[in-house]
Amino acid sequence: MSIIEVKDLSKEYGQGTAAVTALKDVTINIEKGQFVAVMGPSGCGKSTLLHLIGGLDRPSSGSVAIDGKDISKMDDNTLTEMRRRQMGFIFQFYNLLPVLSAEENAALPLILDGVKPDTARARAREWLERNQMGERLTHKPDQLSGGQQQRVAISRALVSDPIIILADEPTGNLDSRASDEIATVLRNIVNKWGHTVLMVTHDPRIAAYADRIIFLKDGQIVDDTLLDGGKAENALRLKEKVERL
Amino acid sequence: MKIQWLLASRYLKGRMQRSVLTTLAIVLGVAILFGMNSLLPPVIESFRHSMYTSAGTVDITISSASNSSFDQSVLDEVKSSDGISYASGYLSKEVVLPASLGGSTNSTSGVSSITLTGVDVASAQSTHVYSLESGRFLESGDTYTALITQSLATALNLKVGDALVIPSSKGTASLTLVGILINTSPDAATQVLVPLTTAQEILNLPGQINTIDIILSASADKTTVESALAQKLGGAFKVGAVETGDELLTMMGMAQNIMLFFGVAALAMAGFIIFNTFRTLVAERKRDMGMLRAIGATKRTLMGMILTESVLQGLIGTALGILLGGLFAAGLLKAMASFIGEYVHVSISGLTFTASNFIMSILLGVGFTVASAYFPARSAMKVTPMEALRPTLTAPEQHKYAVRAWLGLGLCAAGVICLTLKNQYVLSVGLLAFLIGLVLITPALVKPVAVAFSWIYSVVFKRESLLARENLIRQPGRAAITASAMMIGLALCVAMLGMITSLFSGFLGYLDKSLGSDYILLPTSLVLGGGNLGADPSLAQEVRSVDGVGAVTTLRQATSQIDGASIQVIGIDPATYPQVAGLEFTQGDPNEAYAALASGRALIVNGLYASTYKVRPGDQVTLKTSNGDQTYLVVGAGMDYLNAKIATAYISQANLSTDFNTNNDLLILIDRAAGADATAVMTSLQKLANAYPAFTLYDITTFKASQENLFSVAISAMYIFVLMLAIPGLIAMANTMSINVIERTREIGMLRAVGSTRPQVQRMIVEESLLLSTLGTLTGIAVGLFLSDFIVQAMGGIFKLEFYFPTLGVIAAIVVGLSFGILAALAPARKAARTIIVEALRYE
Repeated sequence: MSIIEVKDLSKEYGQGTAAVTALKDVTINIEKGQFVAVMGPSGCGKSTLLHLIGGLDRPSSGSVAIDGKDISKMDDNTLTEMRRRQMGFIFQFYNLLPVLSAEENAALPLILDGVKPDTARARAREWLERNQMGERLTHKPDQLSGGQQQRVAISRALVSDPIIILADEPTGNLDSRASDEIATVLRNIVNKWGHTVLMVTHDPRIAAYADRIIFLKDGQIVDDTLLDGGKAENALRLKEKVERL
Repeated sequence: MKIQWLLASRYLKGRMQRSVLTTLAIVLGVAILFGMNSLLPPVIESFRHSMYTSAGTVDITISSASNSSFDQSVLDEVKSSDGISYASGYLSKEVVLPASLGGSTNSTSGVSSITLTGVDVASAQSTHVYSLESGRFLESGDTYTALITQSLATALNLKVGDALVIPSSKGTASLTLVGILINTSPDAATQVLVPLTTAQEILNLPGQINTIDIILSASADKTTVESALAQKLGGAFKVGAVETGDELLTMMGMAQNIMLFFGVAALAMAGFIIFNTFRTLVAERKRDMGMLRAIGATKRTLMGMILTESVLQGLIGTALGILLGGLFAAGLLKAMASFIGEYVHVSISGLTFTASNFIMSILLGVGFTVASAYFPARSAMKVTPMEALRPTLTAPEQHKYAVRAWLGLGLCAAGVICLTLKNQYVLSVGLLAFLIGLVLITPALVKPVAVAFSWIYSVVFKRESLLARENLIRQPGRAAITASAMMIGLALCVAMLGMITSLFSGFLGYLDKSLGSDYILLPTSLVLGGGNLGADPSLAQEVRSVDGVGAVTTLRQATSQIDGASIQVIGIDPATYPQVAGLEFTQGDPNEAYAALASGRALIVNGLYASTYKVRPGDQVTLKTSNGDQTYLVVGAGMDYLNAKIATAYISQANLSTDFNTNNDLLILIDRAAGADATAVMTSLQKLANAYPAFTLYDITTFKASQENLFSVAISAMYIFVLMLAIPGLIAMANTMSINVIERTREIGMLRAVGSTRPQVQRMIVEESLLLSTLGTLTGIAVGLFLSDFIVQAMGGIFKLEFYFPTLGVIAAIVVGLSFGILAALAPARKAARTIIVEALRYE
């Protein structure tokens, strides 16, 4: 059983003549422990696909199953609980709470789940240390660089030991060095801890860190490839493919 | 819950300026409520304590239902009833001690009044225990002898054998102290015990007592004896001690309610501010809340986060408000104590901090805050996880306000129509309609006001006007809410200042009419029934016989009840009173009313009573008197200056004597005869007055000047209070402007990047604030004018007031409103001007 099963997924915005099809009959299966990147031109539906898989939005038709459970029909409370316990989110703009420290931000999903604050903070500290943020536990977001903030966000995404990690342009707001660092972290998440990562990106260099690339165009899958070369080689190939598409 | 408290406290600390501004609004409302409720109850209690004649520790106490004196023979009737072991009658009255006789309003060491108690020497000790510290008890054959308590002896520096001089209906009475009593209770501390006949002479109540104390036999059943007594004596008597001053206390209770209204009004304005603030912060934090939803926070968690922040803010604001209120009350008490001591001769005890006041303040302070944050908190539940993925931009509001505006216009028109009908029943409905209508219209007014006035302000703000105007127009809902907070404050200012002008002019008119004489012999306390002993009619006779004196008229006073409601009864001479002074009539014909008073049981009620109890000429009322219930015909409604604020009925002095056994003159108004020498008349009258230390002689010009001065002082204090009401408006403005600046950080960065100077950015913020305050000022003046007329009409049944266009109020509102507009913008404008461009452009 695939960890993520998407079947005939469609999403339309608006109604009647003003309706826009963001996704059309998309079917994907993602296995446990895969690092999958979704690429495509602006407006191709890649972010929409991520949102639907993450339960952040509802499909117009089709289904999404996470670890065998169809989330497209779940009620809000159940879906929320699922996001809290079985999914981790990484956003382009980090989305850390400005009033909490790095440790507190990382511990949030557990605290929201009712885990004792001390226990939650201890697990948050573990992940922060793994992501080289052990020396900045008490720093607020405005005291951290972009890359550091994203590491905190990644730690937050991992703290509840989720089934899948969903990353929406995680390096979109970072310089190239910080982007590489983050991409390496994501790679390690998969290699070292066996998590499944689904990442949306427009950057072929970053996508090259993944195991598999899915290309979308006009709401449909146009290519689905496993990557087998070196990073640089993969990045070049992906860049050519993007230009072709 | 913990995450919500954590986030709430962090967000409050993170936006310190805004948190302070929002909290200030709560502080002000709670301070007024808590302060007034700490101050007024002890003031009321001090009055009550000074007027209440306490019962001793006996089984049953009998007094007159009208609280007046009654014939001694009633005691014999009581004694002959079954079950009674001992019964003793006495005559007791509080008597103010003027300064010339040792009176002092120092609440810790002074004595402002005594309780003169005349006892039957033979039977007094059968119903009460009198423990002597020194000397002896009263004996048969004693006349002007007295016993006083230890504390009174200390306060007046007296010992056995010394003379105690007190006011008397014949001027003064000198009592020889024969004994000092041990203090048994605080209520008895100022008691002066004299033989009954002595008290009757001093008070000019021959053969009268006002209380009977009863000790039952061991086998008697109290309830049975009480019922038997009630049946025997009839409705003219009651079981219970004499109580006086209820009508004054009712009036003070009204004052307390008015202060409560102001406190609640201030909290309501705070509610606007809090609603605005929380609505904005929910909008600001959409991305944060979207993220929280994305990572698994439930909707309820988000709502709880906002509500928790409101609870925290409410608690902090309430705590500070209670502290400020206590300090405010202490300051006001100090100011009031000297005034009340001088003019009413009542010592005010300290502030009272009761558990119920604390609880009420906390409930209202926190309650208003949480209630105001409730709807923004609910809207937080609607934030979807997708918000986490969107940039933080405050989109222009999309609401269509046209429908609401038309509805609002209709309601305003209906309100104005109700006002013009001059009908008290529809008046309140009209006010409500007008207020709701204006609130509905205000968002639609934002654009026209902004366009019109930015054209005017562009004279000063040449290049910034367009941006300032458009910034305001894109958020009409928020602008309207901010303007509404300012509107309420300024409307109250305009209305209050208008009312003060009307009252001031009205009362000066009453002063002229009520005190139209050339001289006045005024008792020690301005509250006629407040412990004033008065003088027997011989003083007025002596005044009439002074060379150069023309017409003389007097006022006498008793208390009664009509349908259970306390009322002061003033006795006037229907023949001479209109010659020398006169009542300001609001109903009935004066000549007919005075004639009716002279010919039968007729009375004139004052405006306060007429309006409260809906009494009109032609109605019949039943007064409780010492002769039982008596029916009086209402022949008019009018008032005089000194008794305007207490429920009062005016009857003839003949009826006052018959029904209330009262013959003492408490106030004497004197006209100088035409052509008489003013100095000589004054000198002669002063000679007479010197023998009556309970009275002070005034030339009426001097007295009026002192009253006008008093008014001015009181009005100055009211001006300050009224201006305080406008402060929440200032807070609302400052709050909104600081929010606006924070929201537009990126935009301001862009302006600076493309070449806007720092002063230009500041001017843009200031003009936006000015436009906002202009909206608040215009709506505030509109509501204020409506309220002014409303108040004059509403009070018309009580005081006949003319509507004066509140020019001062309107000018003050414009000055205050526009000043606040500038003041509120200063800090946010400075912050905006200091924006670091690159940081602002990176701002998310």
